[in-house]
Amino acid sequence: MTSIIWYIREFLRPAWISRFLTAKTEPLVTPPYFRDFPVTTENECTQCLACMMICPAPEAIIVVKREGVWRPEITKGHCIRCGLCVEACPEDVLASGRILATKKEEKLLLSGTYHISINPKTCMGCGNCSVVCPVNREIDPSLRSSGTSRSNEVIMRVDTGQNKILHEEKCTGCKTCEEHCPNNAIRVARVVEATEGGKL
Amino acid sequence: MKKTVDISLPVGPVHPLFKEPCRIKCETRGEYVLSAEVELGYVKKGIERIMRGRPWQEVMFLAERVCGICSVIHNYTFIEAVEKISGIIPPERAAYLRVIVNELDRMQSHLLANYSYCYTIEHETLAMYVLNLRETVMDQLELITGARVTCAYIIPGGVRWDLPDDRAESLKSALDHIDSELTRFVRIFETGPFIALRSKGIGILTKEAAEAAYAVGPTARASGISVDCRSDHPTYQALGFSPVVRHEGDNYARIMARFDEVFQSVNLIRSALLKMQPGPVRGGGVIQAGSIQYRMEAPRGELLYDLVTDEYGRILEIAIQTPSIMNIQVCAHEMLTDAESAADITSIFISSDPCIACTER
Repeated sequence: MTSIIWYIREFLRPAWISRFLTAKTEPLVTPPYFRDFPVTTENECTQCLACMMICPAPEAIIVVKREGVWRPEITKGHCIRCGLCVEACPEDVLASGRILATKKEEKLLLSGTYHISINPKTCMGCGNCSVVCPVNREIDPSLRSSGTSRSNEVIMRVDTGQNKILHEEKCTGCKTCEEHCPNNAIRVARVVEATEGGKL
Repeated sequence: MKKTVDISLPVGPVHPLFKEPCRIKCETRGEYVLSAEVELGYVKKGIERIMRGRPWQEVMFLAERVCGICSVIHNYTFIEAVEKISGIIPPERAAYLRVIVNELDRMQSHLLANYSYCYTIEHETLAMYVLNLRETVMDQLELITGARVTCAYIIPGGVRWDLPDDRAESLKSALDHIDSELTRFVRIFETGPFIALRSKGIGILTKEAAEAAYAVGPTARASGISVDCRSDHPTYQALGFSPVVRHEGDNYARIMARFDEVFQSVNLIRSALLKMQPGPVRGGGVIQAGSIQYRMEAPRGELLYDLVTDEYGRILEIAIQTPSIMNIQVCAHEMLTDAESAADITSIFISSDPCIACTER
């Protein structure tokens, strides 16, 4: 009996009755603060590859040259919408939800240092990493066809059948070498620090 | 002596009442359940293996994806573990913001668990009410972090971004709404005679059995064991936290313990919002080499991260112990055994809030 009274009370509430009579499904609207796939802004990309460095998903973001202009491109099937690339981009090229506005307002910063390590047991000196490295290719265009290079300024090159690191400090942590290594022999350690207020 | 068994009754792996696939094998005599065994292995991901060799900014997202229902606590525990290794202390405001997001996540997890129980005992009206209220919590999570489920809000040295005053006001009004609505739903649950028939005195877990089988979380707290890792956490201690304990040990107690914990989370968020002072939300700091065992309280119980990092902060070894495995074990061997009716199998199982994705990782 008590439960019937409870149900009658429940259904006689004015709020319930008014909602029952005017029942209507609200249209699905994505809120403006939803952290969606990043989109590019008007700013010019400087090809620093900070977005590729921070991205946690494999091959979700890639900086490519289209019609003579460098632009970051998002692969939607791979992107997990974490928004770290928006925070890491120093030129504000990417935007997602309200992350870009918050980043400017609170002076949020993600900065990284990079360390390359090669496992000599699994590296077979194929030179894939030296060929695909975007920084290498900028420094020595001859690396576009072969893993060997005469230049001493490149990050890494194949020397006597083994890949050798020359300038670790030039690495931008973009992970391209990691993704193209057939044996997972090369690993880039990306030590990232999250700060606020513009201090390093 | 040969045991005579009427029927071996399988429940699952695909069952309309289960959120995730899992098989319960019951030996029954008529309606009476003699013994039960839970069979897992349908959603194994091998996520700990994927985590190895990766830096925090990748493992953080993998950790969240261990469990979709309680993703924030995995993020929280992993980040606090690597912070402990490196000696990073987050700013005070960030510590309170972490608690706010974690408690919102706990609220939605408990509401989903209780929705699931109400649905299992076929009280769909109350189930839908509770599920609708969960959406209010999810909206607040989305407002604060930008995403409903995998929030990615907690990072080493602080949180992703601040909580401005307008969003804090919206959070406060949502908490008032949840408080008043949930009071009504809990009264429906407490006074419903049909709910009591399906819940009170069903699936009893005694304190001794819970202690012997190492039950954790609300399942243990509903059997009178005062165990909660939040009691050892400095931020929760500053908020004056004390665990919710009930003594009945039946289905009803477990669901009510979760409802009580939702109210407790509302109060924790309110006091965190009061105590929070303006200030920085990120303190910086890089992850260093070391090893640690770090435990925190997930919505389902004690969550343990055991990890080793190298000099560049990459994860060398990681092992995660999630709470559900203990509760599934205790559910199969203590609660389900001697159940009077086969219809209670699912409701007893759901009342222990099993999370199969967590368990199998």
